[in-house]
Amino acid sequence: MSSNTDIAYEVLSPWAEADPVPIRAINARISDLSGKKLGLFCNTKRVAEPTLKVIENRLKKKYTSVTFSWFYNTVPNEAIMEQPRKDEFENWLKGVDEVIAAYGD
Amino acid sequence: MYDAVSIEDRQKPAVMLANYGFANDAESASRSKGMPGLRVIPTKVPCESTVKADIEAGVDEALNDVITALTKPLTTEEKSPKVEKTEKPVRIIFKGNLEEVNRFFYRRGWTDGLPIIPPTEEAVVEMLTGTELPADHLLGKLQSRLGKATIEKIAINAVMAGALPTYMPVLIAGTINLLESEQGFMGYTTFGFSTGSWAPFWVINGPIRNQLNINNGSGVFSPGNIANATIGRAMGLIIKNIGGVRKGIEDMGVMGNPMKYTMVIAENEEESPWEPLHVEHGFKKEDSTISLSFPQTFLQHYPPGSDAASILQSVIDNIPRSMRYIIVFNPATARSIAREGYTKEKIKKYITEKKLVPAAQLRAQSNAIVTPGSKLQQSSVDDAEMVPLIKDPRFIRVIVGGGPGAFVAHLIGGGATPGKKEIQKIELPKNWDKLVAKYKNLVPVYTKY
Repeated sequence: MSSNTDIAYEVLSPWAEADPVPIRAINARISDLSGKKLGLFCNTKRVAEPTLKVIENRLKKKYTSVTFSWFYNTVPNEAIMEQPRKDEFENWLKGVDEVIAAYGD
Repeated sequence: MYDAVSIEDRQKPAVMLANYGFANDAESASRSKGMPGLRVIPTKVPCESTVKADIEAGVDEALNDVITALTKPLTTEEKSPKVEKTEKPVRIIFKGNLEEVNRFFYRRGWTDGLPIIPPTEEAVVEMLTGTELPADHLLGKLQSRLGKATIEKIAINAVMAGALPTYMPVLIAGTINLLESEQGFMGYTTFGFSTGSWAPFWVINGPIRNQLNINNGSGVFSPGNIANATIGRAMGLIIKNIGGVRKGIEDMGVMGNPMKYTMVIAENEEESPWEPLHVEHGFKKEDSTISLSFPQTFLQHYPPGSDAASILQSVIDNIPRSMRYIIVFNPATARSIAREGYTKEKIKKYITEKKLVPAAQLRAQSNAIVTPGSKLQQSSVDDAEMVPLIKDPRFIRVIVGGGPGAFVAHLIGGGATPGKKEIQKIELPKNWDKLVAKYKNLVPVYTKY
């Protein structure tokens, strides 16, 4: 008499294959923030703007020569590059040295 | 997260701030975009916080890390991130007895926690008899990991869920619904993963409802019917194992949702006084379809009277703020309302006009979440003025289901922007009648006591 423990099942994988994603490196940092323009990229999360404002204020005190430029992604859960404002975003990006983005979540 | 990757892709260094509870999610998102080295600073700034002191405390604790992430030279690994070794895909993944197979799958994170039917070659071959599409046919790549949604992978997950081969056309159409769901806030890519714990809700219309014995009567939302139970379960496994959406990593639902186990009903077209949902969407009555929305909350209420005014007032009283409103009327209640001249469209219009809330209540919330496109926040409407909660009747769905009695059900949450993809025709194989005849008699027969 057999039982469940005697029966061997050879089973197929339910996990889908996926094409490998090309891996890219991040960009080199600037060694000193003095005199630089930092971009503040604000998404639609409720806490994003107040968080970036606090960061802006703290960094202004620490680095008096740093300037800031804001950009708002105003569409929830939609990448800025998928939106009609992508050109505006790319132009904004050209004018800053580094970006702080907020907030997840 | 994707925006931060886009910033890096445009040759600007970026630092992303995220709540520490979302560190795994952030890592998964940046990795899926091919940038595993994205500098993410986990902070204790509370999610969605409105308390300045809490935000300041979180920022202050993270500030040095932010500065370091902006200025610290790249490490060797950051300069040349390694392509991670991924497990070579194999068809036969394991061999063992029932308990061993279940434990193996569970440890891999491939189940919903309930036992699964082992997807053997034989079982999958039988499942594939439910479609004429070849096993290697690719429907598309499903978010979030862009897993390849082949017919065979759908069949494997269907076997695991305990589905019958005749459910394959429904599962294929359901997968197409996910694949073609609009991108962005109102689609699967939000509702599948969001903190809001939205659950896929599948409504089946057309002749296939009866051919598959999909419950539309008493206890329409309750367990006990193999089609309602396993179609939703299979779709959940497809989202998990093909889409790669895992709880606590990609699916960041705060509370989670028991409706994610399965949420499938048929509309009771035979007892409905109105045109069925798929006909509203332009399909023929003889077509079979599956529609998709993402409710978060399920509630039921008992209208104080059986006349249309009492029923509709009860509906209005029980509508909270959300994005999509699905109202399920039982057949008797539907007939009572219809008798007084209400069509589905008139019901939607009535609710939209009568469900009013103080402007201040809406203004306090995000406009996008309350009513996409609303400009209330910027308008001059007085706080005390009563304004419609629902701006567009097309955000309301009316369907008929459930058994005898008075209760009305609401499914409240999310769904497609009106006019965008939410319903898919179910295509049947040529030998459909034979298949139905083979599996249709699988129904519970209760003994009397």
